[in-house]
Amino acid sequence: MPSRRSRFELACRIGAFALLGWMLGSSVIPTSGRRLERATAAGVGAKLAAWTRLPPGVVLHGDFSTSPDAGSVDWLSALKRSGHVVAWSGTPPAVAMSAEAMSDPNGAVRVDVAAPGGSTVLVRDDASVIDSVRVTQFGASVVSPIVVGGIVGRVGSQRFSAAAPDSARIGAVLVAGSASWEGKFIVSALEERGWPVIARFSVAPNVDVMQGASSVLDTARVAAVILLDSVGAETMGPSIEKFVRSGGGLVLAGSSSLAPVTTALAPGKLGTRIRPAELPKDTIRLGSTGFYPVSVLKQDGVALERRADGIAIAARRVAAGRVIQVGYDDSWRWRMAGGDGSERAHREWWSRVVASVAYVHGAAATPGAGTDPAPVARLVDRLGPSRDGVLPIQSRPPIDKRILITLIMILLIAEWGSRRWRGLR
Amino acid sequence: MSAEFVFATAQYESGDWDSAPLVPPNIIDTIARYTEISVAPTGIIVPLSDDRMLRYPLLYMTGHLPVRFSEAERRNVKRFVERGGLLFVDDHNHDIDGTFHKTAVEEITRSVGALTDLPNDHPLYAAFFKFDGPPTTSHELNGWGDNLVHKHLLAIQRNGRIAVLYSSKDYSSEWNYHPDSKRFMSVDNTRFAVNLVVYALTA
Repeated sequence: MPSRRSRFELACRIGAFALLGWMLGSSVIPTSGRRLERATAAGVGAKLAAWTRLPPGVVLHGDFSTSPDAGSVDWLSALKRSGHVVAWSGTPPAVAMSAEAMSDPNGAVRVDVAAPGGSTVLVRDDASVIDSVRVTQFGASVVSPIVVGGIVGRVGSQRFSAAAPDSARIGAVLVAGSASWEGKFIVSALEERGWPVIARFSVAPNVDVMQGASSVLDTARVAAVILLDSVGAETMGPSIEKFVRSGGGLVLAGSSSLAPVTTALAPGKLGTRIRPAELPKDTIRLGSTGFYPVSVLKQDGVALERRADGIAIAARRVAAGRVIQVGYDDSWRWRMAGGDGSERAHREWWSRVVASVAYVHGAAATPGAGTDPAPVARLVDRLGPSRDGVLPIQSRPPIDKRILITLIMILLIAEWGSRRWRGLR
Repeated sequence: MSAEFVFATAQYESGDWDSAPLVPPNIIDTIARYTEISVAPTGIIVPLSDDRMLRYPLLYMTGHLPVRFSEAERRNVKRFVERGGLLFVDDHNHDIDGTFHKTAVEEITRSVGALTDLPNDHPLYAAFFKFDGPPTTSHELNGWGDNLVHKHLLAIQRNGRIAVLYSSKDYSSEWNYHPDSKRFMSVDNTRFAVNLVVYALTA
């Protein structure tokens, strides 16, 4: 019966050879478990070429605190489709961006960004920083009079980008109605703001004062129509509905939506004009001298401005066009008798009203090469959702071979020492 | 406040601003007679020093005596013009050597800018009735005042529109009669007032 020491020496020999054999085997025969390769967003680009040469069984995993660039995501997507196991984890900020040419004669571009609430987005173009905005609940917008090259947003280290749109081609604004201060000052405001304006004011039976080129109602020439009153509405006739349905904008100001020809287009039904109990004695503000309220909104009508006495502004879509109903019929008093800056405020206000409905040629940006307007959405679309905590394999690192060799050496030395202790060679 | 057109006469602290009291009703009658413009049946007198003058974008101003604006009047006239109002000033003396002309032109120049000749093909003369230039008045033709037939009106234009219109033709005398007297005229001599109002409302 072998002694206890002989059994120990035998165990050491078996252990050493077993470890040797396992090391030899693992270097020749592939492991039955899946190998894991990992990379961060910043480093994944450099590893993609090597990853492409790996056998399909290897798990390729991204640890993404930001989304990698679009090219890397596309490459990973291609690897996934070719049979690799590709996954990612992390919580990069969900961001998105779009840029649209505004229907503004000055050619401005509006950049809309979506980002996590409370984050600050830095927006820049190829020339310089445009602005930085803090995102509230529903995203944020930046308006820039001019954009050079592409538009890039940045939230922390997350980058996203959009192509700059071509300048919008703006058609004329047709203003029609009885000769009045309201019409005169709307025309003045729009012209001062740079809008091409065609005016048609009725001053006597069969006598109209015309300003600007002949007004064929066609979206190729006219972007929007402002009807001041029922006289203006009747002047346009049924052609106004065709114009709106084909994409033209319509502003129904004052009492113009009382005219039968516009009732089908209006966002709502007008009520009796509201007059303040006491007229303002000093400066006049928009609406402080009364307005026509929208008493009944149509099902698809949207109230844009509510005052204590009712809805002052409402809007709706009619086929391809947009209609806005403005209850104010004497906004000119705000311009003339308002406080400091009221002239400019009146000008900007009317420009915005018109811009909100105006037909614009080529306002949308075409997706540009190299832009990445929604990188996280792209990442999820191509690679699936983040797999935080559900990695497809054990992420335990492989055993270091130096530890195994040390262990073998200890076993062999112990076996040799024991034998020498017994006087054997 | 109604949306109708209100004919407003400017009251200033110096001079005789109310020297032609029948001009407003006569012009109101003319507007109602020839146009569909909704016009208030009576005019209004508004002090130039009062901010409420800004509520009347067409102001008529006349007189015989020297015009010296107060600081408030000067400030308001400047704001009025900058915001798009049209100030129509008529020399009731028909005399370019008279005190009204000299002082009124000085005040206008100081408040707004320099007056220049208005071309006789300006849209004002075709805004409603067709004129070859400013219509003459009986005072001009009779040799009263400066004994001149003025070929042009004077104006200051802003953004392509008349902001101040100045007349040495004495329309204040020409139009200062009761509207009922028009029936005795072969040609209504207030027709140019229609052009003035239509231009102010549409240009």
